[in-house]
Amino acid sequence: MTNVSKTQIDRLGDRLKKREITETDLIMLDEFRHSFYDAYEFVISAIKNELGLTPTGRPAKSTSSISEKLQRESIRLTQVQDIAGCRLIVPGILDQERVVGVLAGLFQNAAIIDRRANPSHGYRAVHVIVTRGEKLVEIQVRTSYQHVWAELSEKLSDVFDPTIKYGGGNKSLRALLAQWSGVMQKEEDVERTLAGVQDQMAELLSQTSLSGADEANLSRLEAEIVTQEKERLERRTDNLAAMREAIEDFSKLVHAGGPDAVSH
Amino acid sequence: MLFLIEYDRAKGKVVELSRFSESERQAANSARLNLELELNRRGVEHEVVLLEAEDEAALRRTHRRYFEDLLELAS
Repeated sequence: MTNVSKTQIDRLGDRLKKREITETDLIMLDEFRHSFYDAYEFVISAIKNELGLTPTGRPAKSTSSISEKLQRESIRLTQVQDIAGCRLIVPGILDQERVVGVLAGLFQNAAIIDRRANPSHGYRAVHVIVTRGEKLVEIQVRTSYQHVWAELSEKLSDVFDPTIKYGGGNKSLRALLAQWSGVMQKEEDVERTLAGVQDQMAELLSQTSLSGADEANLSRLEAEIVTQEKERLERRTDNLAAMREAIEDFSKLVHAGGPDAVSH
Repeated sequence: MLFLIEYDRAKGKVVELSRFSESERQAANSARLNLELELNRRGVEHEVVLLEAEDEAALRRTHRRYFEDLLELAS
């Protein structure tokens, strides 16, 4: 890759954008992607060794994804920040915050992109962008619930319309994804509230002796956690069932010849 | 482990999944490039991606979209 200039890479990006890709281009792109390998390996090893987690790594973004990104965004190939990356799925929002905090400490030059504060067309996650030398490596940290949404959004884009995950395509599908993203946000808020209740319990339990009122308070908080957890599980089951129903309805519509947004 | 995936987006199906051990990284990279070149020659627009996971179960958890249909994803 040492003989290829930034300008040549960006010209390659222009051809990828137009989808005018020759064999020589594919070989040059392969070399360009390979130049991220050391940075990628550094990040993966650090996550494994320091966090004890094993992410699923993607040493090189696929050609089709690069082409689509260049078509979609007004950036050059040398500016794409997720050529190399990896993904971590954690159980909940508190785990996500803990892992992101550890990653920020581990990679001190990292940029944190919080897609929970600013969802991208409903997409919620936290991305940690690590710079190693001149190369960037993207770490996606998703909760299991955010992951369900992201994978559904990707799959809907695959089989119905590639623009769906970027806010395009059929209105009713977009509305469904926005609605489900809102549900996720509410559940994340509930999880944070529950953590607050657990903190109150821990504070009470740390006292050397408890008054009668403290005992009663502790019982109340414990009961609140049990109820909230049960309700949270039930809501998740109901929400997923509603998603399946909506998908089935939409698929039936498509197979019956509507709606017009389906591009495949 | 390394996994080379050829995925037909429009159908939402994996066309081929090849497995490589850690020590076969170079072979996996070559296989990826060769597959891309072959598909390009044939004018086939499939997604080709090389992923690295602890095992196949981990891959199927973190990249469910390749392996599950819409209803399975929402379960």
